[in-house]
Amino acid sequence: MYLLRLALASLGNRRFTAWLTVFAIALSVCLLLAVERVRTEARASFANTISGTDLIVGARSGSVNLLLYSVFRIGNATNNIRWESYEQLAKHRQVKWAIPISLGDSHRGYRVMGTSTAYFEHYRYARTQQLQLSSGRTFTDDPFEVVLGAEVAQALAYKLGDELVLAHGVAAISLLKHDDKPFKVVGILDRTGTPVDRTLHISLAGMEALHVDWQNGMPARGAAKVSAEQARAMDLQPTQITAVLLGLNSKIATFSLQREINEFRGEPLLAILPGVALQELWSLMGTAEKALFVVSLFVVLTGLIGMLTAILTSLNERRREMAILRSVGARPWHIASLLIVEAFALALAGVLLGVLLLYVGIAGAQGFIQANYGLYLPLNMPSRYEWTLLGAILSAALMMGCVPAWRAYRQSLADGLSIRL
Amino acid sequence: MSSALIQLSNLGFAWPGQPELLDIDAFTLQRGESLFLKGPSGSGKTTLLGLLGGVQKPDRGRIELLGQDLSQLSAGARDRFRVDHTGYVFQQFNLLPFLSVRENVELPCHFSKLRTSRAVQRHGSVAEATRALLAHLGLQQAELLQRRAGELSIGQQQRVAAARALIGQPELVIADEPTSALDADAREAFLELLFAECRAAGSSLLFVSHDQSLAHLFDRSLSLAELNKATRLAEI
Repeated sequence: MYLLRLALASLGNRRFTAWLTVFAIALSVCLLLAVERVRTEARASFANTISGTDLIVGARSGSVNLLLYSVFRIGNATNNIRWESYEQLAKHRQVKWAIPISLGDSHRGYRVMGTSTAYFEHYRYARTQQLQLSSGRTFTDDPFEVVLGAEVAQALAYKLGDELVLAHGVAAISLLKHDDKPFKVVGILDRTGTPVDRTLHISLAGMEALHVDWQNGMPARGAAKVSAEQARAMDLQPTQITAVLLGLNSKIATFSLQREINEFRGEPLLAILPGVALQELWSLMGTAEKALFVVSLFVVLTGLIGMLTAILTSLNERRREMAILRSVGARPWHIASLLIVEAFALALAGVLLGVLLLYVGIAGAQGFIQANYGLYLPLNMPSRYEWTLLGAILSAALMMGCVPAWRAYRQSLADGLSIRL
Repeated sequence: MSSALIQLSNLGFAWPGQPELLDIDAFTLQRGESLFLKGPSGSGKTTLLGLLGGVQKPDRGRIELLGQDLSQLSAGARDRFRVDHTGYVFQQFNLLPFLSVRENVELPCHFSKLRTSRAVQRHGSVAEATRALLAHLGLQQAELLQRRAGELSIGQQQRVAAARALIGQPELVIADEPTSALDADAREAFLELLFAECRAAGSSLLFVSHDQSLAHLFDRSLSLAELNKATRLAEI
């Protein structure tokens, strides 16, 4: 099509403004897609924090609260559940596996979680991913062993064999330290991009041993003190835990078991479906995410308006070009199409460059983002939704192109073949 | 078909809200004739060319080009008719500076099938027609064809513009002060070339200028001021 050649040659003549316009559109497109991708991936990674667990059971409170402390290590349990209740649940005929969780201590701002080895076996994230050890092993019979999440190990520069002291409570600066019972690092987990990375895992026995001599929330003094060696010899069966993760034999049983647990006679319990609770929690954060999306839409609009301005300002200088084209036989609608083609070409170049920038950006920042924000941005093809967005941008550009096209059409009718300058 | 290429009768035209600018009883340009039309600025010269090109419609009277009454045609048909039968050379800045010389010359062929087929008929191909025309106009270097038109000298640009007006042998070539940007020697040389090519293509030449010194080179010379009753009245 000859009009395309003419439009491109004319744009080439105004290379500098053309590139600036393309660049502005490219940046805005890149921003929109990046926001969109981070949004999608954040949601996915959020939903991937816990997988394979059918029910989370804790003392009766709110479902979001239970999810927050049991999975995200945020906030505290209002109450504990009795060990007998856990045993009853674990023995239930519908239950395939049960992971006990005991929380309440911390180490330099990172939460400590007491659990069983079932945790390393059954806990799943990102649909089917199992926890992997990057070095060492899981804790065994000795209560004073700890397995570190990847971020804890990296941030605090711990390696296998190091000893560390846990603090009572979850405040970043704790005055009560369990310094009589140091723990030895026996394993470090691979990075998961979930709160597991920020957790120190010890056995339930270890958790019990820390508090075996405590009374009324205060450490024992003098003769009542129990040393680490003494603790090892004691029966460290916990009497209560914070929460239980359950995997069932059949998904179909989830709702009936949930009802059963919620009506449990022994003590007030709450069972939640992780997926549903995650959804609830995400909907709380959804507003910020939507605002971000709207802002980036406006940035794209700004880019397109920039293009419109650039084309409109060029119109006056190009009256002679239009008159020459008219004198060699171009009809007014040719002139109008020329401007629409020009707008479309600018937008298309902008969109292509924007997508390219996005991929270069993702390729460059992928590692950094995953290491710092636990967010994995995949380098995959644009999704259908992203294609729709790009298509919408191009259509918007086409519609905007109609404005200068209409003006040039009127102008070329009025100017005719000659223009006096 | 009569031998008249252009025939105006009882023509009247005024821009909206202004007094009548053109009032011409009769005017004829014969086929193959070269006519010098003297017109100082403000005499309605550009408007007359616009009317002949079918860009504007007269308020009254007839404009016939090749026996076709232009006012009978739709705007689109007038545009097509114009490019099929008329080539233009303007004062200066005739070319699209961002296209190559060759592309500039070939522009009318993209908008007129008739001129393309005539160029092909006579020279074998549009590219060959371009080359031959430019060579006749003294631009024979092959590398020149690919140069951007904006890089040429004014004199060269006017010759490229003449080649563009002549490609595909339109019946009429309208030249509006094409030599005003050239110096005296270049002016006559340019005109010689233009005449020769018009003759070769069998085109009539309507040459509009205020420079009386060139008038003797033409078959016939006319003054628009005498032709146009509207300005005569205004001057009195």
